[in-house]
Amino acid sequence: MATILTVDDSRSVRTIVSKQVRDLGFEVEEAEDGVQGLAKLGEREYDLVLLDVTMPNLDGPGMLAKMRELGNTTPVIMLTSESKRSVVSGVMKTGISDYILKPFKPEELRNKVLSVLQGESGAEEVLAVSAEPAAPAAPDPAAAAAARESTGKQFVDILVVDDMENVHKKLRGMLPEHLSLNGVTSAQAALQSCRQKVFKLVLVDTEIPDVDSAVLGQQLKVLQPHAAFVALALRTTNDVLSEVRGQGFNNVLFKPFSQDNIDDFLSQYFDNQDLLSADENVLRAAGFSGRPERMERYYGRIGETFPQVLNKVAAACFEDVVLDMTASPAGGERVLKFLLSAAEQAKQVGMRLAVVGTPELQKLMNSYTETQELHFFGSVQEARAAAEA
Amino acid sequence: MSAERLSEQLEQIVLKRIAEDSLVLPTLPSVVTKALEVLKDPDVSFKQVGVIIERDPVLAARLLRSATSAAFSAGTRKVSLPEALTRLGAKAVRSLLVEATAQKVFLSRDPKIAESMKRLWQHSVAVATLSRDVLALSGNTDSEAAYLAGLLHDVGKPVIASMLLEFERQVTEVYNRPFIDSAEWIGVIGRTHRVVGVALAEKWQMPEQVTRCIRECAEYDNADRASLVNIVCFSNSLAKKTGIYAGTIDADEVDALVMIGRSIIGANDEIIKTLTRGLKERVAGLYD
Repeated sequence: MATILTVDDSRSVRTIVSKQVRDLGFEVEEAEDGVQGLAKLGEREYDLVLLDVTMPNLDGPGMLAKMRELGNTTPVIMLTSESKRSVVSGVMKTGISDYILKPFKPEELRNKVLSVLQGESGAEEVLAVSAEPAAPAAPDPAAAAAARESTGKQFVDILVVDDMENVHKKLRGMLPEHLSLNGVTSAQAALQSCRQKVFKLVLVDTEIPDVDSAVLGQQLKVLQPHAAFVALALRTTNDVLSEVRGQGFNNVLFKPFSQDNIDDFLSQYFDNQDLLSADENVLRAAGFSGRPERMERYYGRIGETFPQVLNKVAAACFEDVVLDMTASPAGGERVLKFLLSAAEQAKQVGMRLAVVGTPELQKLMNSYTETQELHFFGSVQEARAAAEA
Repeated sequence: MSAERLSEQLEQIVLKRIAEDSLVLPTLPSVVTKALEVLKDPDVSFKQVGVIIERDPVLAARLLRSATSAAFSAGTRKVSLPEALTRLGAKAVRSLLVEATAQKVFLSRDPKIAESMKRLWQHSVAVATLSRDVLALSGNTDSEAAYLAGLLHDVGKPVIASMLLEFERQVTEVYNRPFIDSAEWIGVIGRTHRVVGVALAEKWQMPEQVTRCIRECAEYDNADRASLVNIVCFSNSLAKKTGIYAGTIDADEVDALVMIGRSIIGANDEIIKTLTRGLKERVAGLYD
């Protein structure tokens, strides 16, 4: 377990720091000034030193200089109320890994301590090189999920920034129920929301009065670095997509909305796994809301997702997998093709497939020789009971 | 007289002129002054503002260009000046008017300083853009003030540089004496530009927080983390770190300012990358 040394002449600061460090699961020892700090470093090794600047007997820069002079390379984070650049510049030359200004938020201490202990120095070059193309960075769902967990903020799928509330309502009505949506009507409300929550996708109207959507988009990106940013715009004779990309957006969604456009749009930004969720060995297909012509794509996407989800169930050593198609439409040949493929894939990984669905699906399956052989149940409970029998 | 002594005297002259209010500072053009006055009215008539601005065709064209670059949804329909001003909104129009005037302060025909002044303008626009973006982190809502504070934080430098050019002509041509070298130039500018910038901002009747930023943004303000001073100080250091600057920088000091700013502003690595991604390209179109 890592041990951290906190060096500060203020007992209350040492107490606060010690508690927060122990809460992270690390051990901590304390020193009142630079002299005590050096003495402790002489007795044993530490993984990190949290060092104040202004202290009696021997101040922080003095202790740091002595440490380095003696060949001690323990990482140091300066934890101080000193913000003069000359002082900080001096200790940076001597060698610190990061800096925290008092008073500090627990998250900052946690993030920087973990960052240093994990070997990522906060003082390293982090600037995006200016030679990089100015094209908008692609959203990173994995990083977004990690950011969501580390910040503890509420996660919402979509933020819509449009001064017309009807736009929010219209879009809500065209999205699947499992996608969450927040709508705001002003730039200030958008900034406020983005400070408080984590969004996967941000839609920004390009016609909000007195608002430069490109400027607002850039400000929101600072707060939501992992989100995708899409402009809401009217169709014109211009190449609107090129224009919005030049403004820093990833894409454009045209108003007025059409269900086809919404469906295409969703397929680009939302994980296929949303269509097939796993609960132990029960795989549930999400419902379908759209035109019948889109059903081919719906089953296509479920089919693309199925192998990955099945492998997770197999890796958990289940012998049976239950495929719950209750929410899916009984879509003729498409669903039968998918079920046959699913059964074959399950067999290949050594599992038995049970299908749960509606009476319509059962009737459809019974009308074809190939699918008559598949195990069908009216509910997940029945399927599980049969597997245990 | 030694170069060091001359440098000290030049500095004293500048400070004396400021104290006596006899320093010749660039003024806002009358069109801009009148337009800014009208824009103070919360029920401003953009038609009236348009009539005023139309007296300066170059300024009017600049505002139209800004409005149409943001108004791509308007298609190919030609936008009138009042429509353009309405689309931009009062805050943006005010910023653009000050920006157009400030850019002229940085223009110089003198080959000795022209390139440096152009790069200094580029740096000022970068700091203005960054300040507006960094503002999003702070909860502070005044984008216009952040932009102007960033834009004008070094506005004293071209004023001093022009004065030094004039002094140089007098010393070398009239008195036939050597002038100070470039290092001394930089030293004089470095020691006097803030007080000159403050004088200019006051003359232009800029908001008090903009003037404060010009005066204080060399160091962070511990007492008020959300202050505009901290935003501009951090943005300035990021712009320098990204290489958008005129002259040489003290890399250690810039690194220290970035490190302090990360804590004061609450900017982690991801945020810094987002702030600086494509910065040169984003501000490039704003130089002209």
